[in-house]
Amino acid sequence: MQHILGSYFRLLGAQVRSQLQYRASFILDVFSTAFFTITEFGALALVFTRFETIGGWTLAEVAFLYGLVELSFGLMDMFFAGFDPTFFGENIRKGSFDQLLLRPVPVIWQVLGSDLTLRRIGYVFLGLTIFVFAVHFSGLEWTLAKVVYLPFVIVGMVLFFGGLFMIGSSFTFWTVESVEAMNILTFGGSFLISYPMSIYQDWLRRIFTFVVPAIFLNYYPALYFLDKPDPFDFPFIAHFLAPVAGGIVFALALAFWKFGLGHYQSTGN
Amino acid sequence: MKVFWEITKLSFQRQLSYRAATVAGLITNIFFGLLRASVLVALYNNREVVEGLSVQDIITYTGLTQAVIVYLSIFGSYDLMRSIHQGEIAGDLLKPLSLFTFWLAQDFGRAIAGFLLRGLSIMTIYALVFDITYPTSLAQWLALIVTLVLSWLISFAYRFLVNLSAFWSPDARGIGRFAFIIVMFFSGFLMPLRFFPDWVQTLAYFTPFPHMLNTVVEIYLGAVTGMELVKALLAQVAWAVALVIVCQLTLRLGTKRLVILGG
Repeated sequence: MQHILGSYFRLLGAQVRSQLQYRASFILDVFSTAFFTITEFGALALVFTRFETIGGWTLAEVAFLYGLVELSFGLMDMFFAGFDPTFFGENIRKGSFDQLLLRPVPVIWQVLGSDLTLRRIGYVFLGLTIFVFAVHFSGLEWTLAKVVYLPFVIVGMVLFFGGLFMIGSSFTFWTVESVEAMNILTFGGSFLISYPMSIYQDWLRRIFTFVVPAIFLNYYPALYFLDKPDPFDFPFIAHFLAPVAGGIVFALALAFWKFGLGHYQSTGN
Repeated sequence: MKVFWEITKLSFQRQLSYRAATVAGLITNIFFGLLRASVLVALYNNREVVEGLSVQDIITYTGLTQAVIVYLSIFGSYDLMRSIHQGEIAGDLLKPLSLFTFWLAQDFGRAIAGFLLRGLSIMTIYALVFDITYPTSLAQWLALIVTLVLSWLISFAYRFLVNLSAFWSPDARGIGRFAFIIVMFFSGFLMPLRFFPDWVQTLAYFTPFPHMLNTVVEIYLGAVTGMELVKALLAQVAWAVALVIVCQLTLRLGTKRLVILGG
């Protein structure tokens, strides 16, 4: 294991060094990543001059959901960049994935080490800023339980979205091209859980409760942190399922990845 | 002119061949439209009309904005800067029509395909699923056609200009990312501009971006009528002309400093 982690960190180190070579480009990239979040959240914040709430949630409360997703998705995007289906699909297409199969380190760690999009730090930083804003203005009251639970919520989301990236990449073992429909789950999913789940139509919310357990990642934890009543009358335990939901999706993704890897036939370049 | 149409036709046909991508894109656009409609309807919170837009209008707005994503390349395009960086532009400069016209013809074909395949399909699905707003008079339909053509021209000229930055900077991609995110905000793609505070709207109208999308939305929904509508169209014409001229001048400066190594 030590050998594996050693290789992993070495690969990441190389990534970081290479990305920092072009200092100006890197800074521009960091800002442009953050810039989209600024405009998207800014647009929402600005229309609150004409509206009061979203489904009974104030701007600060929505910011709690939004900031936490940005932060977690940004972290995931940084560390799972090697599994970004577009990036990974490119490696399958070019045949460069085959190189990884020849090396004496588990493939999964090599893929994780094959890319680290450091510029996503812009995302993470902005998500954190919005989150801090949310905590300050929503009147959130901290308890020890909440402090302990918060990192688990973030890990849950990182595992969830990382799992989706892995599933998307595994598909390319068969399709070679990245399957665009996965974007609905990754980017659509992160948009979806950035707002209170109560605003969606029943059929949509049920899909994202029972088929894809996204409701437990962010919405239910937020109800707990902000001491809001549960409009769907789930058992109280529902508030604490974030790491479980993320873990299940990640475990399934891992199994699917192994299955796909077993069926991999090179493009033959 | 014949060459222009040939290029348009080829570019159009190329778009038609990406069938799987079109279907996947459609599903994604519809899904995001649905999510954005949910957010806006929740903001309305049973109010019937906000700033002159009814709930029905605002649902239609989410469809319209998704429908024009491909037609107007809302997320930007980076093809020209790639051809400048990689030197392919040398071949394009030898073609029997100007570089601007060549890319215009290409983008025209791409835009028509995007309009038919993505735009019309999205609006048709919206019409089937939701109770949406339609233009009510022949004049409004005609104005819609005119504004759609003008908005495409403004969008093209702006994207062309952004891409020309590749003549000067190796980081043109980063510049492009900024330039296209600004469009999303000031064009009324993220939220209808009339929901923003007045100072933001004033600021927006100093830029060409509202004329790319917001005008189309407002004309479709009947939020601008009469003299206001004529003024809106004239403003679009003015911006289109201005941007095309700036493109030509910038292109001339850019090609002067272009050095291509033979290979």
